[in-house]
Amino acid sequence: MATVMAATAAERAVLEEEFQWLLHDEVHAVLRQLQDILKEASYRFTLPGTGTEGPARQENFILGSSTTDQVKGVLTLQGDALSQADVNLKMPRNNQLLHFAFREDKQWKLQQIQDARNHVSQAIYLLANRDESYQFKTGAEVLKLMDAVMLQLTRARNRLTTPATLTLPEIASSGLTRMFAPALPADLLVNFYINLNKLCLTVYQLHPLQPSSTKNFRPSGGAVLHSPGAMFEWGAQRLEVSHVHKVECVIPWLNDALVFFTVSLQLCQQLKDKISVFSSYWSYRPF
Amino acid sequence: MKIFLPAVALWGKKAPSHSITTIMITDDQHTIVTGSQEGQLCLWNLTSELKISAKELLFGHTASITCLAKAREFEKQPYVVSAAENGEMCVWNVTSGQCIESTTLPYRHTAICYYHCAFRMTGDGWLLCCGEYQDIIIIDAKTLEVLHTFTSSQSPDWISCMCIVHSMRIQEDSLLVVSVTGDLKVWNLSSSINSIQERKDIYEKESKSLDLPNCRTIRFCTYTERLLLVVFSKCWQVYDYCDFSLLLTEVSKNREFFAGGEVLAAHRIIIWTEDGHSYIYQLLNSGLSKSLYPVDGRVLKETMYPHLLCSTSVKENKSYPFVMGYLNERKEPFYKVLFSGEMSGRITLWHIPDVPVSKFDGSPKEIPITTTYTLQDNFEKYHTISPSIIDGFCAFEDGAGSPAVTSSMFIPDFDKLICGCEDGRIFITLALNAAKAGLLEDNALFRKDSLPYKVLSGHNKSVTSLLYPHSHSSKLDQSWMVSGDQESCVIWWDIFTEEVLHKFFLRAGAVTSLLMSPEIFTLKDHHIVCCVCNDHSVILLHLEEKTCLLKAQKHLSPVTTIKWHPVENFLIVGCADDSVYIWEIETGTLERHETGERARVILNCCEDSQFLKPEPLIAFASETHKHKNAVYRTSSSSQLGTLFYSIPHAESSSKLPVTASFSSLFNVLPVKTKSSNVDFHVLFFDLENLVELLLSTQLNSFSSSNSLHGSDILKRARSTFEKRPLTLKRSKTSNSSISGEGQMKNACENQNQGDIPGKSFEENEGIKRHKKMKSSKKAQFIPPRRVDINLMMDTAKLLLSCLLPWGIDKELDNLCIQHLNILRLQYPVSLGLVSNEDHFSLMLPGWNFCNPGMKEGCSVVNLFSRKVLDLSNKYIAALPSQPEVTGELESDSSQGLDTIVYLLSKLFLVNKLVNMPLELAYSTSSHYKKESVTNKGKNTGTNNSSFYGNLRNGKTEFHFPDADLSLMKLVSGWRHQSVQVIEVIQAVLLAEVQNMKTLRKTSINSPPLSMVDNRNGEMETLGKIEQSEQLELQCIKNIPLQNEETKIETGEATSPLSDKITRGFLNQDSNSATVSVVKHDSHSNSANFQEAEDMPDRCVLEESESPGKQKRHPWMAKLCLCKVC
Repeated sequence: MATVMAATAAERAVLEEEFQWLLHDEVHAVLRQLQDILKEASYRFTLPGTGTEGPARQENFILGSSTTDQVKGVLTLQGDALSQADVNLKMPRNNQLLHFAFREDKQWKLQQIQDARNHVSQAIYLLANRDESYQFKTGAEVLKLMDAVMLQLTRARNRLTTPATLTLPEIASSGLTRMFAPALPADLLVNFYINLNKLCLTVYQLHPLQPSSTKNFRPSGGAVLHSPGAMFEWGAQRLEVSHVHKVECVIPWLNDALVFFTVSLQLCQQLKDKISVFSSYWSYRPF
Repeated sequence: MKIFLPAVALWGKKAPSHSITTIMITDDQHTIVTGSQEGQLCLWNLTSELKISAKELLFGHTASITCLAKAREFEKQPYVVSAAENGEMCVWNVTSGQCIESTTLPYRHTAICYYHCAFRMTGDGWLLCCGEYQDIIIIDAKTLEVLHTFTSSQSPDWISCMCIVHSMRIQEDSLLVVSVTGDLKVWNLSSSINSIQERKDIYEKESKSLDLPNCRTIRFCTYTERLLLVVFSKCWQVYDYCDFSLLLTEVSKNREFFAGGEVLAAHRIIIWTEDGHSYIYQLLNSGLSKSLYPVDGRVLKETMYPHLLCSTSVKENKSYPFVMGYLNERKEPFYKVLFSGEMSGRITLWHIPDVPVSKFDGSPKEIPITTTYTLQDNFEKYHTISPSIIDGFCAFEDGAGSPAVTSSMFIPDFDKLICGCEDGRIFITLALNAAKAGLLEDNALFRKDSLPYKVLSGHNKSVTSLLYPHSHSSKLDQSWMVSGDQESCVIWWDIFTEEVLHKFFLRAGAVTSLLMSPEIFTLKDHHIVCCVCNDHSVILLHLEEKTCLLKAQKHLSPVTTIKWHPVENFLIVGCADDSVYIWEIETGTLERHETGERARVILNCCEDSQFLKPEPLIAFASETHKHKNAVYRTSSSSQLGTLFYSIPHAESSSKLPVTASFSSLFNVLPVKTKSSNVDFHVLFFDLENLVELLLSTQLNSFSSSNSLHGSDILKRARSTFEKRPLTLKRSKTSNSSISGEGQMKNACENQNQGDIPGKSFEENEGIKRHKKMKSSKKAQFIPPRRVDINLMMDTAKLLLSCLLPWGIDKELDNLCIQHLNILRLQYPVSLGLVSNEDHFSLMLPGWNFCNPGMKEGCSVVNLFSRKVLDLSNKYIAALPSQPEVTGELESDSSQGLDTIVYLLSKLFLVNKLVNMPLELAYSTSSHYKKESVTNKGKNTGTNNSSFYGNLRNGKTEFHFPDADLSLMKLVSGWRHQSVQVIEVIQAVLLAEVQNMKTLRKTSINSPPLSMVDNRNGEMETLGKIEQSEQLELQCIKNIPLQNEETKIETGEATSPLSDKITRGFLNQDSNSATVSVVKHDSHSNSANFQEAEDMPDRCVLEESESPGKQKRHPWMAKLCLCKVC
């Protein structure tokens, strides 16, 4: 106890001063840095209303895979939406080539990108409310702001890193099946998703299970990627996945965005840690 | 359904933190509802003079509240829906604080609108929700299930705000929304009701891009039915609803961010900002009049400009974001109110005049603040004496007030409360005594300085976490306790000798939590303590070897989960950034680091995770509830096919894991809302357990008093217990000598062994300990009987004091104090109620001033509402019709213990009765239907269990003649009249006590002497002998009659209520086992042994010969049976 008491008034004054510096200068420096990073990230998403006017730019990506050449395709990404998709599928049985593309009038929103973009813009909004003119009075205030920003950033990142786990009936009932011209054959299911910096397309080939089949039917649960043999019930029919083809393409700016998210999250956490260092010195008051 | 789990809050000086994130005022302007970042809702009473006082705190959400909205037509049902960050949704009744419905959906809502269209819709209406997902989700307001969605065909995106437009002109309700990218969209509401029910896709009717981000509010002017107010963070605009043409744009000045707005009247609007300012504008038509015809073929364009009339402001602005709202009421007694809630927990109200005008010179007028209030104000105003749990002994010591409690823990085995303080001291005290000192009126017994307590000093900084290893693994020594502090120092204590066994210096951050390795995980047969520090490090300590096993300091963000891999000796650490670190414990190396999907898989694969942010209160409430649910489930399953008697066994297996945590008569839980300090403690009573234990002791005391030296022993036992606080020190060795007696039935019998009074306490503990070990090995459910009778009585008395209304009648108070030997309350207690599984409401200090008709300074303390008096009068009116009752009561009232037991069991019964589902209590239709209803009732959690039912068969309820049927009928009838559970409980208690009083007046042979001598064992036992004899006689008289009754009731249901009672039998007509029960119940003595054989439960065994057994009443048996099925 005595040693603590020896933390004299002088030491306390120094700490107080340092804390004030932290609140008045350092916090704003970090916030500015954060804002810059996030702005940079949001440009990657081509946020509307952040300067870039007009329609978002179009990018073409070629789908490929190291393991299979059954599926080939070209995707056109416009911001958070797939505006065109041309997919060629070589049927494994008869080597027949199947071609299908998006209907002209339709776009497919990539929900993951949209959500990530919206989370980032919310984080930017939170930071914009606290510019240099704002005086932070307590550390708790900074912590609360950081928590709110980090919550948005974590969600943004998680949306990209963890694709939704869907069940096969959910994939079948999604609007994606209606997007194609010519219409998808009944024994095909497709799904687009983002996994980290990659845009993935999975094509499931199905075959109906005979009612007399000796296999016992067990509907599969939700998964990002279903494996061959997964079964489900659709309409009155029982279906089984016979082949799965997964092709993907790297979207460079998603990689950038992910890096920005990670860096800004670390910045936030570091600022939080700096603030809480002082909490032990002023445990008696809401620092 | 609301279950009365008696809980009393012990507040500290500081109010719990409540950072308001959302606020609303109910339509009747009586209640303000706020949601907080901490996850609680607070109900505030709003008087007609616009005075605020806090009423209740609602626990149930585990994350920050994002929005609130009304969930029904408010005049019919005062329901409000709340949504949290993690997707939880809850519908609350804001007058009773009860949770009606709850669910968790994978959607984060930011706004909810209630929509109901009476003539086109069935059901209770819809909740239209928007949030962090595309478009609008429609949720059923009653069931909280997702009904359908509104989808947009063009650029679907998140919706940031919405409003419902009821237009008389076009006879169509529409939903107006603005998306985050600034697209205005309109959906038809009333005409799409059918398509929603048919689950067709519904696309927007219109869509228009407003080209501005961050829309905060959209409002339709119902006065002109033309104007549309849209508030963005940087500007606000007015549109024409007919063609969505822009009429006006006003950009924010001095870097203000707009947060919302509302239409006050035709062409008058109010706009508020994020820092708590608001502005009232008059919208004026500019010179371009309607007569001007469109030039160059364009449509008529009318423009407006705003004129600032009034403004409001707050003094300390710019520190926290504000959430504001405006309530526009045109009906007479109501006001136009602008309200705001702050992060700091402050609520501010402005009364907006009906016709706001500017000053004479045209400059804007400032509208003054009408009221401002915080939770802390409530505490200071009504909470004159601080009952913080350690104040009792801290305050007198240094005079400067007690230090804040930073961590605390309750050890039920020893009734000990351990509090770590911010100054580094750790206090150990008896929990019940501390609670009593805080709640009850001063008495010589509980003088502040006479409270026994111990201080452990060893820490220099505030004690941030505590751990009692024995509660995690019974193999560990009971004297051990581990504490960690701010300076990263962990101390291993012996709490009995107050010794420091070892000090560990971790050289890391402040210890945020201490965990025990699970029982299955042992490293070379040793248990490990895991310390989580705020510098994101995890440190494993080995207590016995006094070594540090592993220092894991690589984590970049705070640790959220700890998992143990038992086979490969891995420690799996989950962090807040969703990454996972796997450490090998023996070598201390980082084995793997994973993020994203793979991390999630790794975390999911291990079952025994220890989460670092538990919600103690909610977890506890749900735990007790689960414990009860488990019972219903097993009893229902076993009821289906097998014998009735097997139920207790089935229960025992399912109950075991839960009872371990809830074995005591009461429990003290520290509640931390957000801050580092413990905000307050909640004392939970287990009424069921208490009644049951008291009854068994009562019986035991009968039997012991029947034996020759009974009174002698009892007397000695009492004197021993009186010494209890003095003999806190216990010797560890003393238990060996008595190990043979481990099978002792209960505390009372334990006393028989204690020949030397001074030693017996220690020995008692020895026995208890031994028994605990044994019972855990046996893995069989036995409610631990090691609770001593004194503690039991004290708990019961405290509970009664908390429930009784004091000061209604002086005589009554004195009667209670003298006769029942319970003490007056210092001030009204804050009771807690559990509703709908794990939702908990807690009254706040000053709740008693929220009720209309309650005046300040009135001598009445703790009366829940005026209604209680009426109810209890009704109850009394129904009560004295039976002469039998009076006779029994008389004999009862000659001793405190029995009366207390009687009162408690009555409360228990009433509580059960009130909580029974309505259908169950009132069903008169076919038996088949009833069966299904009851099955449902069980799952939803009626408070009944066959086990307790059986117990009470044997020994409860001396007073269940026919008059009680009418009483019970009366009580269950109250449920229809929106009477709350606590009101019923208090009314019954009051009535029973009053009845006791009147009886005492009329009776000649009950001198007050015996009351005074209540503590004297001899008097009491004498009384008991007398009573047991009486009861014996009475039972013999009753037996033939009972048989008749049984026959009648099983044969034919006559009245609705008896129908209810017999339902149990009718349901199980085919079940032969049930029939045997009936028989067995009506033949009293001979069957006892049979039952004893069938139920190898200790308490039944020991009862079989006691006279109390004969007190069984067929009516009770039936009630119990129907509870089972």
